[in-house]
Amino acid sequence: MPQPTLLQSLVIALIQVILVVILIFVIVPLTIFAERKVLGHLQQRLGSTRIAGTLTGLSGFLNRWMWRMGKVPVLSYWRGLPGLAGDVLKMILKEDVRPAKADRFVFFIAPALSFVAAVVVFGAISFAPGTLFTLPAWVPLVGGLPVAGAIADINVGLLWILGFASVGVYGILLAGWASNSKYPLLGGLRSAAQIVSYEVPLTLSLLVPVLLSGSLSFGELSRRMAVETGYAAILPQMVGFLLYLTCGFAETNRTPFDMPEAENELVAGFHTEYSGMKFGFFYLAEYINMAVVSAIAAGFFLGGPWLLPFGLQGLWIPESVPFLGQPNVLFFLAKVVFLLFVYIWVRGTIPRYRYDQIMSVGWKYLIPLTLINLALAAGIRYFA
Amino acid sequence: MFKNQEMEINMGPQHPSTHGVLRLKLKLDGEVVKECRPVIGYLHRGVEKICENKTFFQGQVWTDRMDYCSAVANNLGWAEAVEKLFGITVPRRARYIRTLLNELNRLASHLIWLATHAMDIGALTVFLYTFRDRESILDMFEAFCGARLTTTAFRIGGLREDMPPGFEKMVRDFLQTFPAAIEEYEALLTENRIWKKRTIGVAKLTAEQCIALGVTGPLLRAAGVPYDIRKAHPYAAYDEMDFEVPTRPEADTYARYLVRLEEMRQSVRIIYQCLDKMPEGPVMAKLPKVLKSEVCEVYHPTEAPKGEIGYYLVGEKGSTNPYRFHVRAPGFMNLQSLPAMVEGSLIADIIAAIGTLDVVLGEIDR
Repeated sequence: MPQPTLLQSLVIALIQVILVVILIFVIVPLTIFAERKVLGHLQQRLGSTRIAGTLTGLSGFLNRWMWRMGKVPVLSYWRGLPGLAGDVLKMILKEDVRPAKADRFVFFIAPALSFVAAVVVFGAISFAPGTLFTLPAWVPLVGGLPVAGAIADINVGLLWILGFASVGVYGILLAGWASNSKYPLLGGLRSAAQIVSYEVPLTLSLLVPVLLSGSLSFGELSRRMAVETGYAAILPQMVGFLLYLTCGFAETNRTPFDMPEAENELVAGFHTEYSGMKFGFFYLAEYINMAVVSAIAAGFFLGGPWLLPFGLQGLWIPESVPFLGQPNVLFFLAKVVFLLFVYIWVRGTIPRYRYDQIMSVGWKYLIPLTLINLALAAGIRYFA
Repeated sequence: MFKNQEMEINMGPQHPSTHGVLRLKLKLDGEVVKECRPVIGYLHRGVEKICENKTFFQGQVWTDRMDYCSAVANNLGWAEAVEKLFGITVPRRARYIRTLLNELNRLASHLIWLATHAMDIGALTVFLYTFRDRESILDMFEAFCGARLTTTAFRIGGLREDMPPGFEKMVRDFLQTFPAAIEEYEALLTENRIWKKRTIGVAKLTAEQCIALGVTGPLLRAAGVPYDIRKAHPYAAYDEMDFEVPTRPEADTYARYLVRLEEMRQSVRIIYQCLDKMPEGPVMAKLPKVLKSEVCEVYHPTEAPKGEIGYYLVGEKGSTNPYRFHVRAPGFMNLQSLPAMVEGSLIADIIAAIGTLDVVLGEIDR
């Protein structure tokens, strides 16, 4: 295969970026929709049901028939989906109110910072090893060239991810400060303290796969974790996964750690003063962060694009098995979707920690546990 | 160059979890509450003064609108206070039906409390579960008196009408499923680590403090004092009912949660007894067309879901209106204890404390 020219590789990269952005903007609204629906069904209600409910035609017939049977109509599961378009429209069209005493520039930059930091992380995430698909030959300029399963599977991928995850906290902190209002300030400060604290155990729990695999690149790391670790490494991986997920909940400000925006205490936390699309960016950033945390958990602990988690793939399913033995981007996405479901599930089940309790959980329990887990992984690495 | 300053912050009157228009002036040192001053009166309608210009029959309508979550209990207090003033004897069957409705109302009120309290602490799902069950209670109210929230359930001297056909089956069907529903709430909360962490030892109020501040109801019982007016000064048909007064010694938010859940179970027992022992007979006493009072005064305390609700009525010779009317509202008295509960704790505990106080501003501001 001839080496692609600079222009060609730029176009390929653009295609990859567009694909990932499309993926984000498909996953995020669907997560929001799923949150409404799943939470609804957890709470014995239907979730959003407006719009797209036809009472005529075949679907209408099915719907009415199922209602008559005393069941929730199958088609109504998708009702409310077009409402998302309405939500976006509402955010864009709504008046953008800026408090008179807010710091103009910082107030403007904070949501952008949150949003960009969340999106950029996707650059280093590898959805599938090697080539995702090859462009057909009739495509001008880049015909016949492969499109890789990651935008940039760089060899310091993990550092990139963690670095930008930390930048996200600036968005929240600055938003709280720039609003020049009391509730947002409290929310922003809480958030800064919480996220900084939880970044420690988060990073420590991610060191386990790094140690076991000896790589920092997302794709390489998930490959080695999926197919090259032995039985001994299963325990630290499982523990690490649970610890990571806990910290991930805290990092994304979700229940039970949704302190910065604990609505019942701080009205809406750091984004109290935001409206319109500026608020929309915070809202999107939260869901993108959820997707990021899920994608990292899926890649590092759950075997990424390979079927089985915790290194069981390499032990149980040889690579010669068709389909199940091969890496597939669908497996990866399925794991992400499952973890997103876990997020919603947890939200529907448990209450919220108090601020000081969150801190004590982080420093007194999670950090020692991650350190022990790390020592365990180091021992396994040394002896095995 | 640097100075320490306490942050003054207004919680309310518009705030998601002050349960209406309660306003708290807080002084914060970081997240620690140094001072908490409740400011009330945003929902003041002058109910007491209005009632002085209404006849005894009309006054009852206003009692609905005080504690709108437990309208029946308020109606009961008013009706019995007026009956005490005029020396009217209510037929036994009417007293049984009143007891039944009052206990149903206690369930509805406690369900609202659990819903909002749990949601304030972040447990969203309980909210929807309790509202599902409260819905059936409201349906029963609707079947009985046509209204769901502002019931005006009773008449002075008894009831306007007997139970509608099918009402007893409605109640029994509900009682069949309700204990399982309580189990469901408990499954989500009672042994939940986070719930326990958020409530155990939070917003403590000892028995001495409760008595000094005039706090009654589940708060007092959760401090270990078995004072329940249904037992201490029985009214309606409570002297013929067999039930227990749950108490806990811990005097914290978790204890109040357990006490209220146990009260719900006891209410179910009382409702069963009402249905099983329901006597036959008329539901309305013989009354003159116009009630004209003598000069006399009564104070009639009843056990509303939130505590002791007392009606103080003074009659005027030959008048159809009360000369003076005053309500000892449990929410008003209980709210006094908020500063004692939260000063020195964290902001998040205020939310738990407001939840556990079960405030309804309609009755506090009147």
